[in-house]
Amino acid sequence: MNHLPPDNPPAPGLEQLLCRGDIWRGRSPHSPVQQVVDTGYTQLNERLSGGGWPVASLIEVCQRTASYGEWHLLLPALLKSERGLVVLLNPPLSPFAQALLKAGIDLERLLIVEAKDKSDFLASFIELARSDACDAVMAWQPSQALSYTELRKCALASTEGQGIYVLFRPDAVRDQSSPAVVRLSLEWQAEQLSVSIFKQKGQLRADTSPVSLPLPLAWTGLLPHQQLDQLGKPKPKVASVTPIHGGRRGRR
Amino acid sequence: MAIFTSHRQTSARLWLALRLPDLPAHALGLAIDAPEPEVITAKRQLVWMNAAATTAGIQMAMDATTAQLLSGCTLHERDQCKEQLCLAELAEGLYQFSPYIETYNSEQVPQSGLLLEISSCLLLFGGTGALSSGIAQFIGQQNLTLVVGLAHSKAAAWLLSFAGYAISGDEEKTDFIELLKLLPIDLLHDFPKQVDALEKTGFITLADIARQIEAQTISSFKKRFGHEFADYLCELFGIDQDFQQNSLFETPVRLFQPSEYFAEQLQFDYPLHQLDQLQVPMETLLQKLAEYLRKRQLQTQHIEWVLSDIYHNRDALQVYADSPQSHWQLLFDLSLIQLENRDLPFEVDTLSLHCRAAMPVQARSHTLDFDLGRKINRHSFSITAAKLKARLGDASVYKLSYCDGYLPQDTNQRILLTEQSQQDLPEIHQRAQRPNWLLDSPSLIDVRKQGLYWRGRIRLIAGPERIQGNWWREPSARDYFIGLRQDQQRLWIFLDLHKQQWFVQGIFA
Repeated sequence: MNHLPPDNPPAPGLEQLLCRGDIWRGRSPHSPVQQVVDTGYTQLNERLSGGGWPVASLIEVCQRTASYGEWHLLLPALLKSERGLVVLLNPPLSPFAQALLKAGIDLERLLIVEAKDKSDFLASFIELARSDACDAVMAWQPSQALSYTELRKCALASTEGQGIYVLFRPDAVRDQSSPAVVRLSLEWQAEQLSVSIFKQKGQLRADTSPVSLPLPLAWTGLLPHQQLDQLGKPKPKVASVTPIHGGRRGRR
Repeated sequence: MAIFTSHRQTSARLWLALRLPDLPAHALGLAIDAPEPEVITAKRQLVWMNAAATTAGIQMAMDATTAQLLSGCTLHERDQCKEQLCLAELAEGLYQFSPYIETYNSEQVPQSGLLLEISSCLLLFGGTGALSSGIAQFIGQQNLTLVVGLAHSKAAAWLLSFAGYAISGDEEKTDFIELLKLLPIDLLHDFPKQVDALEKTGFITLADIARQIEAQTISSFKKRFGHEFADYLCELFGIDQDFQQNSLFETPVRLFQPSEYFAEQLQFDYPLHQLDQLQVPMETLLQKLAEYLRKRQLQTQHIEWVLSDIYHNRDALQVYADSPQSHWQLLFDLSLIQLENRDLPFEVDTLSLHCRAAMPVQARSHTLDFDLGRKINRHSFSITAAKLKARLGDASVYKLSYCDGYLPQDTNQRILLTEQSQQDLPEIHQRAQRPNWLLDSPSLIDVRKQGLYWRGRIRLIAGPERIQGNWWREPSARDYFIGLRQDQQRLWIFLDLHKQQWFVQGIFA
């Protein structure tokens, strides 16, 4: 009888508690090892605390319009997922199959869920976040704004999953409180996509200086005349125009 | 090869044939004793007529047009599916008398009915007479005309239903055979070619056939009319073929399987008025359903909840699952999703669960996977997908596929989750620049003096790429460009060469 285990489990030690990711440790830069997904951009990885997109956390992206720069930001990370599903919840427009195939997205693993109503959106987000089949969920806030409580529900559901969960919201809500682990905003510049990380869990004073993500070369197109000399890049090809001289030679 | 001299019964089977001559009319819901002449036709030939039509001079197998010209009767088309349903219903009812029930259908003549093996039920019902009168009473309650026949085999019982004799219950096999011998060979409806040949040879009654078999052997019939007809005659006259112990090689009688479905209910001690209170009873009923399905190796895609109160108000809730289920958890979640969007219509006193459509569990094959890494948990996601579909509708959860087409919007296709995406992108599209988002329909660009405007001024930075074709539907010619809006957003725009108007079709995001 003496060999039986005690009825009460042993009290957790301090070290065990510190291994948890949600205990505030003052100004200490030490943070527990967090699972992340490579963003595909070195400069962005350096600025994100874990070195990539945090897994099982809510990431909030604020942008001017619903369809702004999300694919450029997330495509490299999406391509890293090899077997799980990528779900677009409530996308603002139809994703273009040609562009996605060209980028290397497997359409068999891309799923689109339309939930225009807020309650449906929340229930669907929670359902998708809890499913272990999803590698990434890209969700666009419905027309009715989400309250802090509702965002908290999304954030809690995200902690139950194993993928990256990105919620796209309008730029106007940037100053409102949000329980998202990472919050950032996007802005297009002439030659790059500018990303400002204005909230990160574990960083009291976030470095808000923007990170520039370069554009694909083909997107730059023809630049205005005054910028051509400054950049010195090869000019993209455009269709040549051939003048038509119909019948004149024959008359001569 | 003693056929009629052998008194030893090779089996004690006793078959009761229930012939239903008015079944075609009963299936169509026609009144048998209607004053107006009514007939039922199949392939323009008369197969049934009522008494008024007989009085008007119509005869069976008459052409439909002739019958109509003769009496002005109403024509109805025979519905064999409905007849089958009627027979199935009757078989369910007759299961109370015997567990051995078979259906008789003739392809040649419109005579259908049921055959019951009653030898094992005689003791229970007090003899043949009592049992047959009980069955006749049951059929009479269904407003059907019944003609019965009793014999030692199915074929003989069916033929004896045409003999028109009263069943006493004391008949022996020899009595049946004697009665059979009186019948004309025309009644062998299932063998029209053989009957025709026999008639030409001078055979008139079954006694002629019996005499021929006694004089020679059954093998002479087998040689001339085929194996099937010879076997039928053996069954008819109870002939033991070659074997010493025929009963050992006899086909066992098939046991009738009545259709069964799940129906359970829970009555509450007090009326429930909140949805939350229903959760535990629902879970209990679903667990019972899961046990029922598991024991019978069944699965289901559809269940029905019925809520009722003490005033007999009823409210039904249909729950459909995406894939067949034999466990209760998903059905429970789907039921809760359905209940979320509604209020209880009344204070619920009784909750019932019905599952009428269950199918056998299908053997599923799984691919061998030795990769221990993370992979798509298809089963887990099928549950998630089912929940999403239950909440949002089937059309709101879909995949994307490429399909060949000239116009960009024609190449984008929404497909079901179960369908396979086409992912072979032609070389021409591989080289071209395409936006990530596509507008469902192109949006018109405002053309001003200063340039193009669509939520801001647009400047062309790349292009054009001409897309021309679709001439067989609506000819179109478009020059596509990449446009840079003043907020640095890149747009996919085109000039419609026919309309000479600019449109936005996509967004580079």
